[in-house]
Amino acid sequence: MSLLAPGARLVDATSGEVLAGPELRAAVDKISAELAALPAGVLFARTSVDVPSVLRYVAAFESGRAVALLDAGQDREVLLGLVARFRPAAVLGGEGEPPAGYTADWVREDADGVVPHPDLAVLLPTSGSTGNPKFVRLSRQAVLANAEAIAEVLGITADEVAPTSLPLHYSYGMSVLNSHLLRGATVVVEPTGVMGRPFWQAVEEHKITSLAGVPYHYEMLKRLRFDPAKYPSLRTITQAGGKLREDLVVEFNDKMLAAGGRMFVMYGQTEAAPRMATVPAEKLAEKIGSAGPALPGGAFSIRLEDGTETSVPDVVGEVLYRGPNVMMGYAESEEELAEPDSRGGLLETGDLGRLDADGYLFITGRLKRIGKVFGNRVNLDDLEQMLRGSGLDIGAAAAVPAGDKVVVWVENCAADTRKAAAKALSEKLHMHVSGFDVRDIDALPLLASGKIDYRSLEGRA
Amino acid sequence: MDLQQRLRNTFVEALALGEDVDVENLKYRDIDEWDSVGHMALVAAIEDEFDVQFETEQVIDMSSFKVSLDMLKDLGAE
Repeated sequence: MSLLAPGARLVDATSGEVLAGPELRAAVDKISAELAALPAGVLFARTSVDVPSVLRYVAAFESGRAVALLDAGQDREVLLGLVARFRPAAVLGGEGEPPAGYTADWVREDADGVVPHPDLAVLLPTSGSTGNPKFVRLSRQAVLANAEAIAEVLGITADEVAPTSLPLHYSYGMSVLNSHLLRGATVVVEPTGVMGRPFWQAVEEHKITSLAGVPYHYEMLKRLRFDPAKYPSLRTITQAGGKLREDLVVEFNDKMLAAGGRMFVMYGQTEAAPRMATVPAEKLAEKIGSAGPALPGGAFSIRLEDGTETSVPDVVGEVLYRGPNVMMGYAESEEELAEPDSRGGLLETGDLGRLDADGYLFITGRLKRIGKVFGNRVNLDDLEQMLRGSGLDIGAAAAVPAGDKVVVWVENCAADTRKAAAKALSEKLHMHVSGFDVRDIDALPLLASGKIDYRSLEGRA
Repeated sequence: MDLQQRLRNTFVEALALGEDVDVENLKYRDIDEWDSVGHMALVAAIEDEFDVQFETEQVIDMSSFKVSLDMLKDLGAE
């Protein structure tokens, strides 16, 4: 099965250029032929929201070359660290001085490399336990199965026109692309995003029919007083990438319904390629706060502290997901790229939740201390560790989640240091500085055990 | 402090800009700090500082420092 249906179209909103049907296929095949000449190993693709990035990704996927999608804005130092660890066959879109052992075009000089497992198709970065990125290994079959299931629950047809409102190296952005190409729909590549005039011009010019956003996009759309009545073609909005506050779910659902449109609230993780659940639009009003039932082909269960699993309604425990879209595992080194599936279709999500009598999932928290910064998962213990290793003169620090941001409490911290700390985290994690709210505190509250009282800090965040 | 200087300070504060940034000639998406997330923080900060409220069209048209300065002048901010 191919990711690219015969009728799929790619529109470059900046230039107005359209690649459709046989032309799009030819453009992909041309790049596939170039990729085939590269040495063995994984491909790194530095990815921006532009047509060349989309074509490289699709060409790699179609020609069976495992490809890692990396943020083109990523620090050079982080990129070079990944190159050293994974020895990619080439860095597509590599710029500037190539690392040792690579040609001027960023192709590895050594022909010998670890051959990735034949099932492996896409690698997406996630933060590892040491703060170094590691990769989620997704098989070709997992990516295709998930794209198909998403297309089914959202009712995507060849008539849909979706913009790239999310980065393509982000699993949600990738899945919007996949599920539309698979159904022969149109994808409009538009780099400025919902806060820019060109985006809304593209909505009108290309008659965009849907919009995908993480919670902060909905905060932006609220700020823009988004009115779907002004955009007659735009009739579907989808939301994932973290829990959207319930008053905004209600507000946007009401707006879309009033305009004859619909809203889908979804749940997923990169480890599931990424979608696991979607609330059917017609059920959203009565299931506010839910992540939805499992996608077709998938199933949820709840694991209790004693290790037993249940699907009894309203019992809270760790959410387990089983489905064809679950990752093969992680990779932290070149050797691990050759490993077979290690998960057997089971994903331990690390989320706490319950199922209702209709099988709808409600997320209630996290097993580990995890925050979300504008839709990106951040391990809060790692973040505290990064501050300690930042070289700043910084006292005891405690990080807690606060909606789309993370609040970091630091003992006796001057304003300048707070600013420098936020900047350091922003650069290290490549997320906007306003996602890190560093605050001063006289003394961190402690529990009787002597551990930091995170719950009380969360109450104050 | 004149309007331009106050707006400059608001940009520096809201986008956490370094000293080497040429604020007066800055355009939306020129630098990492002024992405869509930064834009939302920036618009809110300007509204607070100058006690104005921008219309939707103004928010999406605010594509440079200069444009935002002109908008403020049009709104009669002082």
